[in-house]
Amino acid sequence: MGLDFFLFSILFVFLTMGLGLVVALFIRGIDRKLTAHMQARIGPPLRQPFLDIGKLFGKDTIIPENSIPWLYNLAPIACFASAATLLFYIPLGSLDSVLAGRGDLVLLTYLLLLPSLALTLGGFASGSPYATVGAQREMVTMVSYEFPIIIGVVALAWQMTMLFPFDPNLYAFSLSAFSAHLVWAEVGLFGWVGLALILFVFLLVTTGELAKVPFDVGEAETEIAGGLLAEYSGRNLALFYLGDCIKAVAMGGIIVAIFFPFNLSPLLSISGLQANAVDLLFFFVKIIIVLFFSLMLIRVGVARLKINQVVDVQWFTFSLICIVGLLLVWVDPWLSPVLGILGG
Amino acid sequence: MAEKSCTYSLPIGPIHPALHEPFLFQFQIDGERIKKVDLIGGKVHRGIEWMGMRRNPIQVIYVAERICGICSCSHAFTYCRAVEDAADIDVPERAQYIRAIIAELERMHSHLLWAGVAAHEIGFDSLLYYTWRAREGVMDLLELISGNRVNYGMLMIGGVRRDLSDETLSKIKDAMDRFDPVADKLIYLFLEDKTVKLRTQDVGILSFNDAIKLCALGPTARASGVRKDVRQDQPYCAYADLEIRAITPENFDKETVGDVYDKTLVRLLEVKQSIGIIKQCVDSLPSGDLLAEPKLVKILATLKKVNNEGLGRVEAPRGELVHWVRLQESTNLRAWKARSPTYNNVLPWQPMLIGEQIADIPIVAASTDPCFSCLDRAVVTKNGKSEIITGEELHRLSLEKTRRLKKWG
Amino acid sequence: MRPIKAEELLELMTKEFGDRITDSKITKRVEGKQKRENLHLSVTVDRESFKDVVRWLADVQYPLLSVISGWDAGDRVELLYEFQLNGGVLGKGLALTLRVGLPKDSLKIETICDIIPGAQIGEREKQEMLGVRVEGTPDPRRFFLPDDFPEGVYPWRKDESGVPESMIKKLWEAK
Repeated sequence: MGLDFFLFSILFVFLTMGLGLVVALFIRGIDRKLTAHMQARIGPPLRQPFLDIGKLFGKDTIIPENSIPWLYNLAPIACFASAATLLFYIPLGSLDSVLAGRGDLVLLTYLLLLPSLALTLGGFASGSPYATVGAQREMVTMVSYEFPIIIGVVALAWQMTMLFPFDPNLYAFSLSAFSAHLVWAEVGLFGWVGLALILFVFLLVTTGELAKVPFDVGEAETEIAGGLLAEYSGRNLALFYLGDCIKAVAMGGIIVAIFFPFNLSPLLSISGLQANAVDLLFFFVKIIIVLFFSLMLIRVGVARLKINQVVDVQWFTFSLICIVGLLLVWVDPWLSPVLGILGG
Repeated sequence: MAEKSCTYSLPIGPIHPALHEPFLFQFQIDGERIKKVDLIGGKVHRGIEWMGMRRNPIQVIYVAERICGICSCSHAFTYCRAVEDAADIDVPERAQYIRAIIAELERMHSHLLWAGVAAHEIGFDSLLYYTWRAREGVMDLLELISGNRVNYGMLMIGGVRRDLSDETLSKIKDAMDRFDPVADKLIYLFLEDKTVKLRTQDVGILSFNDAIKLCALGPTARASGVRKDVRQDQPYCAYADLEIRAITPENFDKETVGDVYDKTLVRLLEVKQSIGIIKQCVDSLPSGDLLAEPKLVKILATLKKVNNEGLGRVEAPRGELVHWVRLQESTNLRAWKARSPTYNNVLPWQPMLIGEQIADIPIVAASTDPCFSCLDRAVVTKNGKSEIITGEELHRLSLEKTRRLKKWG
Repeated sequence: MRPIKAEELLELMTKEFGDRITDSKITKRVEGKQKRENLHLSVTVDRESFKDVVRWLADVQYPLLSVISGWDAGDRVELLYEFQLNGGVLGKGLALTLRVGLPKDSLKIETICDIIPGAQIGEREKQEMLGVRVEGTPDPRRFFLPDDFPEGVYPWRKDESGVPESMIKKLWEAK
């Protein structure tokens, strides 16, 4: 690898990061506006998240007396950094991701866990009873949503290996495999239903992953006064906020990359930089659509669950749906042709 | 294996997003379960009764109105009834009906406010906005009648201060017709939604016996199956002609459990009941005087000669409200005791909260629709010591801050 | 539950307690177009028999304790236990007041929390506001007044133990 490649990578990293941040905050603005409209409110202007972040960075950062200061201050940075890293693994439209080929879906699931882990550490380090309760709850939620996600990821990778057993370039867990092969097109009826179930769970788990109603038990404003974030203020809070926004985009991006890797440029028959730009834009639109169904629509329509109910729903119901999806994907290569013969 | 138990204490209040007024719950918690709860009130006692004992009976009406921002009319209403009882003043029929209309409108907006808050406590914000939008309609109506949204200033000893014109009456009727389907929709949303049910059913149960023994009042008691309602037991003013029945979950063909769900049910059905009462009152509003004695000076002169005590009872949105006054041939009240329903509904919290989860605290605490008082001082805790900032101090500090900000600007 | 009438209750009470009931009064108020009557029975008992009366009442019909009011009547402090009877029966509700006078030199009364647990907050309030010692009340801490409120000052009293002039914050004079 030459020096110019290295420099190019650095530049690309900064570009991705900058774009990711702006888009993440913008999407949060859209989220707030749409949610407000669904709740018969007017809602804040689209630029509100930018103003919020600006204001938070200008505020004093208060460190509670009975906290563990280094851990308390480290947690937001860790949260933001791990969330930002996620961005480098997601293919942006027709552009490959910065770190394409250096990480896979398994790594991504772990990276998705890191911001929550940082939040939990920060919560425990704050030394407030509310934050402690919030951190305990967050840990339990983390354990409960991780299981269905992993099952889903395994099912997807399994399907890839089964569909293309002899492709030497294919690494089943990598995201580029999914953008290269459209999963829906390659499977039969059973696999299709299985994939739909997994997509459904992924959409719902996003709410849990991002700690939003009905799974926002760790923060639960009316119960434990913001829980994990109860003691955070100023720059630290801004970093958590940014991490949360980026995580939402990343989660949406992963779902889009796996399930909807369509691009507009082939349809419009353009190429080059223009095509990349159009695809990138289309990619973000897809993310907004995915997030609309997974975050906003759910959030406005339900009440917050209790911690035991969260575990029930995520650990049992979601995992069960995912396992059914996995089984369907598994039987698909044998059963779907049979069905095809019977039908034909 | 011996059961391991390690409890930790969790304070909720005096300042907490789930509590809209200062009250301190000191919990002993094991994991997520509540083991013990200590209820500590008086965080900001305003001494309103003490103030009232230094004012003349008409001034106290306005002090009474400011006991609570939600049931402001109920307090003034009850206080006026107490004074009328002491001085044996008969209220004209028209005034009795107008009083009932205002009280029922207040009940509607109070219950809707509560329902919205309850939805917010369980994290269902859309329902909060929907409910409060409906409530806004009632507030507009109250503004139309009295010119005020919160403290209506409608009550006077011996009657009411403002009349309802025919135009206003027809507007009230129209609004009630429009409101009927909205109330039905709300009942449907609160009682049928799956996640709301998950959060409210079998949570914060108050048994029938506890409700009786701890003297619970209003919807809190009625949800446990106690058929007590002042409007039914000792019907006053227009209610004497209306034959009102207390609402319990049985009215909805439902078994009485006494949980938060039942409390929601009772309150929402009472909103429907209030709509009916208002319609009836508007239809049969008698004509006549508004006040037993229109000249305030004359009222005061009469009250100055009274040496008696009076008791006023009204069914406020939160339960039976009692005011007791003692007049003793003097310009000012000799003694005044205002007992708001929350006073009695504090103790039932203990059986309702113990054994529940932390997540249930806000909704259970809110289920009695608590109403404390407003802030007049702030406590600062620094280095383990607590200092109290008094009103004057706070005033001075805010002036300083304003000046500092002005310098920058 | 059979609703009990005011006269009937008074008769039963006089039969049971005789001249331990020192005074009694039934007042009427009429309401609405139909002039429906609401009754209020007011009974004065002495301190020694007070708890017996409450216990007897709880046996006859478990009442709802609305409030314990009290006032400084010069040479004595008067406590008024306001009860509600016949709850749940349309128009048959009966208000009952038990009045107890306590001489200023011995301000104490027995608790009724063992009979009616809901009296707790009312009893605590009477202790802090009127300086009446309620003997045996399960939780004698203050409820309404702050912890730093001086001992021996009782806001509802009209004598020297009331709120002194020095404690009154004159906010309207603050600059």
